[in-house]
Amino acid sequence: MLKVNNITKKFGDLKAVDNLSFEVNEGEIFGLLGVNGAGKTTTFRIIMGLLEADEGNVTLNGKKIDYDITDSIGFLTEERSLLLKMTVFDQVLLYGILKGMEKDSIEEELDKWLERFNIKDYKHRKIKELSKGNQQKIQFITAIINNPKLLILDEPFTGLDPINVEMFMGVIREFKKKGSIIIFSSHFMEHVELFCEKLVILVKGQVVLGGRLSEIKKKYRKKNIIVHGDVEVDKLMKIDGVLEVNKVRNDIEIKIKDDNVVEDVFKYISKCKNITKFNVEEPSLNEIFVSKVGESFDK
Amino acid sequence: MTNKLKYLIKISLNKKIKTKWFVIVNILLVLLVIGMVNLDTIISAFGGDFNEKTNVIVKDNTNEVYDLFKTNLGLSQNYLTDLENVNLSKSEETREKLIEDIDSKDVVIIINNDDTNTIKAEIISDQFVDTVLYQTLTSAINSSKITLSMSKSNIDPYELASINAPVDISRNILDETKEEEDEHKSFFMGIIFPSFILPFFMLIIFLVQMIGGEINEEKTTRSMEIIISNVSPKTHFFSKIIASNIFILLQVFILFIAGLIGILIRKYTAASSFSLGSEFDLSSIWNTLVSSGVSERLIYVIPITIILMFLSFLAYSLIAGILASMTTSIEDFQQVQTPIILICLFGYYLSMLAPTFEGSIFIKIVSYLPFISVLISPPLLLLGQIGLIDALIAIAILSGTIYLMLKYGMKIYKVGILNYSTTKIWGKMFKAIKD
Repeated sequence: MLKVNNITKKFGDLKAVDNLSFEVNEGEIFGLLGVNGAGKTTTFRIIMGLLEADEGNVTLNGKKIDYDITDSIGFLTEERSLLLKMTVFDQVLLYGILKGMEKDSIEEELDKWLERFNIKDYKHRKIKELSKGNQQKIQFITAIINNPKLLILDEPFTGLDPINVEMFMGVIREFKKKGSIIIFSSHFMEHVELFCEKLVILVKGQVVLGGRLSEIKKKYRKKNIIVHGDVEVDKLMKIDGVLEVNKVRNDIEIKIKDDNVVEDVFKYISKCKNITKFNVEEPSLNEIFVSKVGESFDK
Repeated sequence: MTNKLKYLIKISLNKKIKTKWFVIVNILLVLLVIGMVNLDTIISAFGGDFNEKTNVIVKDNTNEVYDLFKTNLGLSQNYLTDLENVNLSKSEETREKLIEDIDSKDVVIIINNDDTNTIKAEIISDQFVDTVLYQTLTSAINSSKITLSMSKSNIDPYELASINAPVDISRNILDETKEEEDEHKSFFMGIIFPSFILPFFMLIIFLVQMIGGEINEEKTTRSMEIIISNVSPKTHFFSKIIASNIFILLQVFILFIAGLIGILIRKYTAASSFSLGSEFDLSSIWNTLVSSGVSERLIYVIPITIILMFLSFLAYSLIAGILASMTTSIEDFQQVQTPIILICLFGYYLSMLAPTFEGSIFIKIVSYLPFISVLISPPLLLLGQIGLIDALIAIAILSGTIYLMLKYGMKIYKVGILNYSTTKIWGKMFKAIKD
C-alpha cells in the first residue's frame, strides 16, 4: 500500500503541496487531479524521492521510498524524459539497467511491448526520428519495463490519438489486475472517470475533493435531467431547485440542485407534448471538477 | 549501485566515443600533430630552394681587396650570423658579363679603386638580398677598406694584425645556475609551450564544455528526473566526472601517440630532409637537456606534472559539473562557465610570462593556486625557478580544493540537477551549501 501522510512542500512563500494525505492499495488506480500548478508534479516528485517534503512522509508497504525500492517503481513524467539522440533500444536499456534489470530481460520485455504497440520496426531508430505519439509509447514502455509494483503516470495520454489512448488504458488495467498500485494525473476527466476508483482534486496544493469516485458523485448532490420533446425553457426555470437549462444538440439539459427536484420537473414534463426522453443522470467528473475548482478560485 | 555507476559511465563514454565526429576529429588531430612535428619536411617536400647556397661573386678590380674581404667575411659570419649557405668566389669576368649571367641566388660585388675613399663597391643582385647577408657583406667590405687603408699608411704588420683582431670578450656569470637557465629559458619554453601548456589549455576548455553540455542535455530533456529517481545524485555526478576524465585522458593518449608517430616519421625522413634549425632536432634537444642539467630534474618534474595534470582535470570537471547542475540550458551554462575559462586563460598567459619574472613572490604564490598551478608550476620547476617543495605545496592545495568541492559541491549538485528555474542561481547555490 502507498501511504501519503500529511505532506507539505513550500518553495519560498509558495505552498506547492499543503497537508496532502491519501492511500492507494494494490490493484487500485488513483487519480491526482488539478489544474496546472496545483501541485500534482510536486507530489509525484515527493513520492519518487526527488524532492523532500517539509512535513509528512510517504511510505510504500510501510517503508520509506529510497533507492533500495525504486527498482520496483515505474515513473512516467509529464515531459518527454527521453534522450533524443539515443536509439529506442539504448534508451530502454539505460532506464532498464538503472532499474536493476539484466540486459537480456530488458530486451525480451522491450520486444514484447514494441510488438504490442505496433512499433517493433523502430527498435533501432533514434528517438528524435519518431513521432510525438510514438515517443510517448517509448516513454510509457520505459515506465513499465520493470513490471513495477508502483506505477506513477503524469499525464500519460498526452499526444496520443484515441486508439492509442485505449491501448494505454488496456495496459494500465492489466497492471491493475496484476496488483500494481497506479497513480496517475490527467487533464482529461473522461479518462480518469473511466478507470479511477479513488481520486483527489488539488487546488493550490490543497485537497478540495477526495475519496472514492462513486462516493464523490453521490455526495455531489447536483444532477442532470436530459429531456427530448416540446418543453418551454422559461417554465422550467421557474421550478424551484432548477439551476440551469441548456440546449445540448436536440435535447434539453436541466441542471437541478438535488434529487428532490426530480419529481417537480417530472410533473411539468409529463404535461408537455412529444416527450421521447427523460433521463436522470449523474454529473460527469468534469462537471464536478470545474465546479469544485471554480468554487476554490472564487474563495 | 556499482553496476549502475559502471553503466552510466559506459553510456556517457559511448555517447562521446561512438560517434562519427569523434573518429573524424581525432583522425584530423593525429594528422595535424604529425604534420606539425614534421612541418619543415612537409614544406620542403612541396619544393623550394631552401638548400640552395647564395653565390657571392667578387670582381676585384683593385686586385688587393679580395683576400681581405674573404677574411673579414669569415669574421663577420662568426659574429653576425650563422649563415653557412654562402659560396664565395672571385671572378675575372666583366661587369656586363656578370650581370648578364646573374642568377636569382647570385650576389655580385664589384670593387673598384676610389681616389677619395680608397675603394668603392657595388652590390648587384637579381632579387632582394636577405638583410642579414647584406649587412654581413657591407661590414666585410668596410673592414677590408680600413685594413687596406691602414696597411697603405705603413702601420706595423703586428700592430695591424692586433687592430684587426676581434676583441677578446669573455662572458662570466657568477651564479652558474642562472647562467644555465638564462641560456636555455627561451629554448625550453619553446618546447614546453606547444607540447604541454597549449594542448592542456585546449583540453580543459573541451572538458568543461563537454560536462556542461551533457548535464544540460539530460536536464532539458527531463531524463534527469528518471535517472535521479533510480540512482543517487552522487552516483550520477561521479559517473559524469569519471567518464569525462577517462575521455580526456584518452584524448591525451591519442595526442601522445600522434606525437610519437610524428617523431618516428621525422626520424625516418630526417636523413633526406632539410632542417630549419637546431631547435627542431630531437637529438640536440636531448643534448641541450643533458648539458643544461635539466634532464636530472625530469625525474621528479614528470611525475609531479602528471599528478598535477590528473588533479587539475578532476578539479575542472568537478567545478564544471557543479555549475552545470544549476543551469537549465547550454546557453545558461556558457555564461556560467565564463569565470572558469577566464581563470584558465589567466593561467595560460601567466605560464608564458612566469619564467621571465624569476624570483617574483607573486609568481611563486600564483604557482600554488589551484586550477592554474598545473600551467605554471611544471615549467618553473623544470627551469629550477621553484623547488620541489613549492610543487608539493601546489599539489596539496589542489587536493584540498578538490576535497572541499566534493564536500560542498555535492550539496549544490543535489539541489541543482532538479532545479529548472533560472532565477537566483547563485543564491540557491549558497543556500544549498548552508543547508
